[in-house]
Amino acid sequence: MADFQVLEQSHPRVDAWEKVTGQANYAGDVYLPGMLMCKILASTRSHARIISIDTSKATALPGVRAVITGYDFPQIRFGSGALKDRYIMARDIVYYIGEPVAAVAAEDEITAQEAIGLIEVEYEDLGAVVDPLTALRSGAPSVHPDLESYEGYGFTIEGGNICTLLDADRGDVDQAFMEADHVFEDTFRSQGINQGFLEPMACAANVEANGRLTIWASTQGPYQVRAQLASVLDMPLSNIKIIPMELGGGFGAKLRLAFEAFPALLSMRTGSPVKLINTREEVFTLNGPRHPVTNYIKTGVNNDGTIIAREAYTIFDVGAYLGAGPNSGIGHGLGAYNIPNFRLRSYGAYTNKVYVGSYRASGVADMTFAVESHMDIIAHKLGMDPLDFRLKNTIKEGDIAVNGSRVPGNGLEQTLAAIKERLGLPKELPDGHGVGIALCEWRSGTGPSTASISVNEDGTASLLTGSVDISGSDTSLASIAAEVMGISIGDIIVASRDTDLAPFTGPSGGSRIVYSQGKAVQMAAEDARDKLLALAADRLGVPQEALGCAGGRVYVHDNPPQGLTLGQLASASVNSRTGPIVGNASLSTLPYAPVFSAQAAEVEVDRATGQVKLTRYVQCQDVGVAINPMAVEGQLEGGAVQGIGRALTEDMLFDQETGAVRNPSFASYLMPLALDLPELETLMVRVPSEDGPFGARAVAEPPGFGPPAAIANAIYDAVGVRIRELPLSGERVLAALQGKISEDVAYIGDELDELKRAEGLVA
Amino acid sequence: MQKQPLEFTVNGRRRQLLVAPYYSLLDTLRDEMQLTGTKKGCDEGDCGACTVILDGKPVTSCLVLAHSARDAEITTVEGLASPDGLHAVQQAFIEKGGLQCGYCTPGLIMAAVGFLQDNPVPSEEDVKFAIGGNLCRCTGYTKVIEAIMLAAETMREQNS
Ligand code: FES
Ligand code: FES
Repeated sequence: MADFQVLEQSHPRVDAWEKVTGQANYAGDVYLPGMLMCKILASTRSHARIISIDTSKATALPGVRAVITGYDFPQIRFGSGALKDRYIMARDIVYYIGEPVAAVAAEDEITAQEAIGLIEVEYEDLGAVVDPLTALRSGAPSVHPDLESYEGYGFTIEGGNICTLLDADRGDVDQAFMEADHVFEDTFRSQGINQGFLEPMACAANVEANGRLTIWASTQGPYQVRAQLASVLDMPLSNIKIIPMELGGGFGAKLRLAFEAFPALLSMRTGSPVKLINTREEVFTLNGPRHPVTNYIKTGVNNDGTIIAREAYTIFDVGAYLGAGPNSGIGHGLGAYNIPNFRLRSYGAYTNKVYVGSYRASGVADMTFAVESHMDIIAHKLGMDPLDFRLKNTIKEGDIAVNGSRVPGNGLEQTLAAIKERLGLPKELPDGHGVGIALCEWRSGTGPSTASISVNEDGTASLLTGSVDISGSDTSLASIAAEVMGISIGDIIVASRDTDLAPFTGPSGGSRIVYSQGKAVQMAAEDARDKLLALAADRLGVPQEALGCAGGRVYVHDNPPQGLTLGQLASASVNSRTGPIVGNASLSTLPYAPVFSAQAAEVEVDRATGQVKLTRYVQCQDVGVAINPMAVEGQLEGGAVQGIGRALTEDMLFDQETGAVRNPSFASYLMPLALDLPELETLMVRVPSEDGPFGARAVAEPPGFGPPAAIANAIYDAVGVRIRELPLSGERVLAALQGKISEDVAYIGDELDELKRAEGLVA
Repeated sequence: MQKQPLEFTVNGRRRQLLVAPYYSLLDTLRDEMQLTGTKKGCDEGDCGACTVILDGKPVTSCLVLAHSARDAEITTVEGLASPDGLHAVQQAFIEKGGLQCGYCTPGLIMAAVGFLQDNPVPSEEDVKFAIGGNLCRCTGYTKVIEAIMLAAETMREQNS
């Protein structure tokens, strides 16, 4: 490992002091003089025409200052991607239970809530469809009958409710299936998941004296919120300033415009600041969660265990609007394997449920559950060791990834080896006890990134980026800057920012910040360092190459006592020919850098009740280089525990008739508590990436992918039953133990034929 | 509904204020006193983000009516640090990385402070029980538990 001064050492978060003393300010903590409170009226119908909305009683209630409906907004549809399928507030039609229909601003929250109860809406029901597989069938009620007239619609496949298709093909998959010694088919289902951030959605809005709109937001993507808000309010982008407040968890849910437009319009109407804070119930019912996913996988394998063909059809329920879109990319149907022939399809289907949101590499955890369960099934059927079977097929340096990129050097095999050694695999456990593994793949996120660093007269440096801190990313960015400039992390001031102040940057999500934003910070710091060196060379009368930068000084290599401190240089720069020292950097994308993680679970299954006790969980990830090991471990641990919740207990329940969320509370949506923890072991291997800052790779997403499959595979090892549906509840395991779930549940058959017919693959 | 007079002690200061009868202690601290360090994650008693110490015991302040805390002694996260520095629990959370987004942190810290008063020599299992009502979505709890164990040790040293 390189000889680092700052990196690879654990540093407390730069914002830790504010957070442990209660001084950190979140959007809900904004209190402004004369501030009004906003409440939302949600639709009570799954799919209905709005006949009338009567707000007169609400408006007349003392303390109410304004009431708005969808008709108060410009008639402009918006969307997260190209397809504009949604109004910010329902207009003419509601598409799901929970959709905002009206909003109120009142002098206090209780009055606003009372006013909401006084708004009268008359609906006329339209046909609704809740199940995504039903939605795919021809003749199903159409969620958006006018879809083809929406801006950005570019999709041609028949089938009323299909709104997206991602696809990837290579080789001759049908031929390969015919030639394969064995062909295996499985279908898996994963459940609806709520992101579970602790801070409910909140925002405050105020029209300033100069007519500009200021939004205090709880967001991962201030520039995205600015652009979308400008579009739905039909207002110049430059009229809006977004101040991203401390973020109390987002995990993808806060990447885009949420409810900011309601307090914004209410503030424009009343001239007063307006604040909105969701209740926890609203977090569950109004905000886009992840919906259930059905995954059909077919694999052709030769006798020696070499996989030669893969077909994967994934049906994503997107709810009423495309929202975050179905998934993070099509390639995950292959998993971490090199497969010469494949046909991969991801379909998005509209249903009358709350629109889909993002959550930690959306869709990949669902696909990893399917692929890694399927790999385990195949290994057992072929009589191979599950780990050896994986190793035989892993993608390697020089192979071509699904996205067409050459696979660069990586630590995939080391992660598997580390898991094998830590657990002593293969191993026999007594009946009722089992061990299972899963191999997870992801890539380091990229996208537009900028940074600016100015050197202060006392030798400290101020770092300005537009990215919101998630998962301690500010601390990591400060570490990178400190490493480059040869100063301590305490000498980096991370500036607080807003969209007026900081340069544009992509949102904080998809494991993007440290890899891409970190690279921009590294480049900006190098730029600042080069300018310091040039100035020092000038002052000291030596060539720039003769100088080094460390310990807060620029010094002469051959004579280290000769030099100037960064403070002296910064002070001198003020009146120098080139002016004050500022380093800048800007980049759009970085090359493909995969991330691999091997994970293993040990479980104990009670045959009488089906209860699964997770006793041990081990993960090993290739992190490239650990910018801040304590933060990296924190990400890996937190991610794995989210994955454990997904595997065992978390389950968003939707009413099968109406699509309403049936368990909108923390008491009924069960996220892991401290008491649920297994023995959790976190290992890292370090194969530096080619382009990331100092070789770092993305960290945050993969730890959450593995638990569902690793635990399902461990359950199979323990008691010989295969659970193909999440969560792996005691109820489900017991049913399987009692033979009530058949091994070959085909959840998808007719639907698959129908899709293939539409694609023209079958007659 | 009419606001009614209420008196209690918060972070060592006697406070007199007018509070509506339906107001929770949590909303009172936040809306009426601008003590926003105490967080609202659910308002239903399920997440622990609103934990404060009321007459020596950790409670979820969203479930306590403000008027039922008449004359009580309340400590919030803002009242933990002394002029000499941070409380041992706060310091341990920083050192061990027991926080990420920080939204659950004030509640976890107050739950830990209350618990360590009663059990200065806890096992890891005890700690898990003590924070069994506090949800944290970011950390996976491992570093939170390490932080509380470290704080227990520091407090024992401070008291001996
Ligand atoms: S806000 Fe009180 S327990 Fe969640
Ligand atoms: S640190 Fe984010 S919820 Fe605990």
